[in-house]
Amino acid sequence: MLALYKKELQFYLNNPIGYIVIVLFGVFANFLFVKDIFIYGSASLRPFFDILPWLMMVFIPAVAMRSLSEEKRNNTIEVLLSLPISETQIVLAKFFALLTLVAIGLMLTVSLPVSLYFLVTGTGARIYIPELIIGYLGQIFMAAAFLSLSMFFSSQTKNQIIAFLASTITLFFLIIFSTDFVASFLPFIVQTGLTYLSPVSQVEGFSKGVVDLWSLYYFLSFIIVFLFLTIVDVERRD
Amino acid sequence: MTNALKNAKTFTSIMISLTSVSKWFGAQTAVDEIGFEAKKGEIIGFLGPNGAGKTTTMRLVLGLLRPTAGEIKVFNENPLNKRLAVLPQIGYLPENNPLYGEMKVLEYLSFIAKVKNLKNNDEIIELSEKLDISEVMEKKIEELSRGFKQRVGLAAALLGDPTLLILDEPTSGLDPIEQDKIKNLIKNIAKNKTVIFSTHILSEVEDIASRLIIIDQGSIVYDGKKPKGRGAVEKLFKKVVKKT
Repeated sequence: MLALYKKELQFYLNNPIGYIVIVLFGVFANFLFVKDIFIYGSASLRPFFDILPWLMMVFIPAVAMRSLSEEKRNNTIEVLLSLPISETQIVLAKFFALLTLVAIGLMLTVSLPVSLYFLVTGTGARIYIPELIIGYLGQIFMAAAFLSLSMFFSSQTKNQIIAFLASTITLFFLIIFSTDFVASFLPFIVQTGLTYLSPVSQVEGFSKGVVDLWSLYYFLSFIIVFLFLTIVDVERRD
Repeated sequence: MTNALKNAKTFTSIMISLTSVSKWFGAQTAVDEIGFEAKKGEIIGFLGPNGAGKTTTMRLVLGLLRPTAGEIKVFNENPLNKRLAVLPQIGYLPENNPLYGEMKVLEYLSFIAKVKNLKNNDEIIELSEKLDISEVMEKKIEELSRGFKQRVGLAAALLGDPTLLILDEPTSGLDPIEQDKIKNLIKNIAKNKTVIFSTHILSEVEDIASRLIIIDQGSIVYDGKKPKGRGAVEKLFKKVVKKT
């Protein structure tokens, strides 16, 4: 599994596309926060964490779209399946390689809390480090959930573009479930249920520095379900 | 040591056994109640026209496809249920030789060696010399000629010294010189191994195989010794295959 993990990660790190996607993610994330930094009026990264789901909605399907669809299109999946490595190991190796890549992208945004620290120094305000760490942890969980869903769609087709569009559209609907805009159209009961299904509402607690066990359970269940469905697809022998 | 591994190393006769195996894709029958056994040391030429069911049969043996009916045993184990026990002893060269073009040859072979749990790169060096690919080890696979790609695929299949080799159209698309090279390679590496190779090039079977299985429209129409003499395989093929 480690060999496949390294091979997958090396593909992105030895490839300009990998760097372009990571750097663009970093640039957009930094820009979208910094452009309004003086409007927020607080030494918190919460506005930044609110932006991230929208960015991840595009960038995560973009990096994950080839993960299995390309293997199927080139028939290299047959090479992998003829090697002594289980289907679960194949999917997990690819998943963790992509998660590492996304984590590298998130690390590029660490400049934001550092800048914020220097901005608020001497003003009496301060950055609460545990809140920051838990906030990033929440983003990692959300990224992992988005990745598992994108890998599932990648396993369903030989066409990367279809995988990308299916993932992005599904993530878009999952994100907007938690918005006031959608809530205003729906009855309270439906609205509550849909809000619970939205990863954005589940990550809110993390952004505030609170590790909510229900949210943790939600993300782990989400990841396990979609990875399991992906493994089932790879195990198919039709 | 797993049972499959023990069987592979010590099994005296039957390496593969197919009993009344069928495979349907929807309403289409790809393989229809076929059965054969492959013994240790045999080099079996799997012959048939395009679409006869050669690749499907090979995929069934490897556990890449689930049979619709029948039983398959590889080293006396079911390759679907015990694939992790069976696969370390099988070397496979798939049809059209799919490879990771963006990788360098050495990177690719090292990756395969690691997945096959090989401790070091000694075998890669040995195989690169044997298969004459030492000069391209630092080249990207996508930059190689078809002949070199085929040899890289063959090296990957041979890593780990498998006891069973399954080669699907190993000389497909190669020029006659490269075809001869690959044929000689197979002859040299086949010693002490069971080899099943599919082809639709009749002369290949005459040169390499010790036994011949002819498949046509999903059914085995001949299974026996290779007929002797130049052109004998072609005569037999024309006799047993309906559309030639």
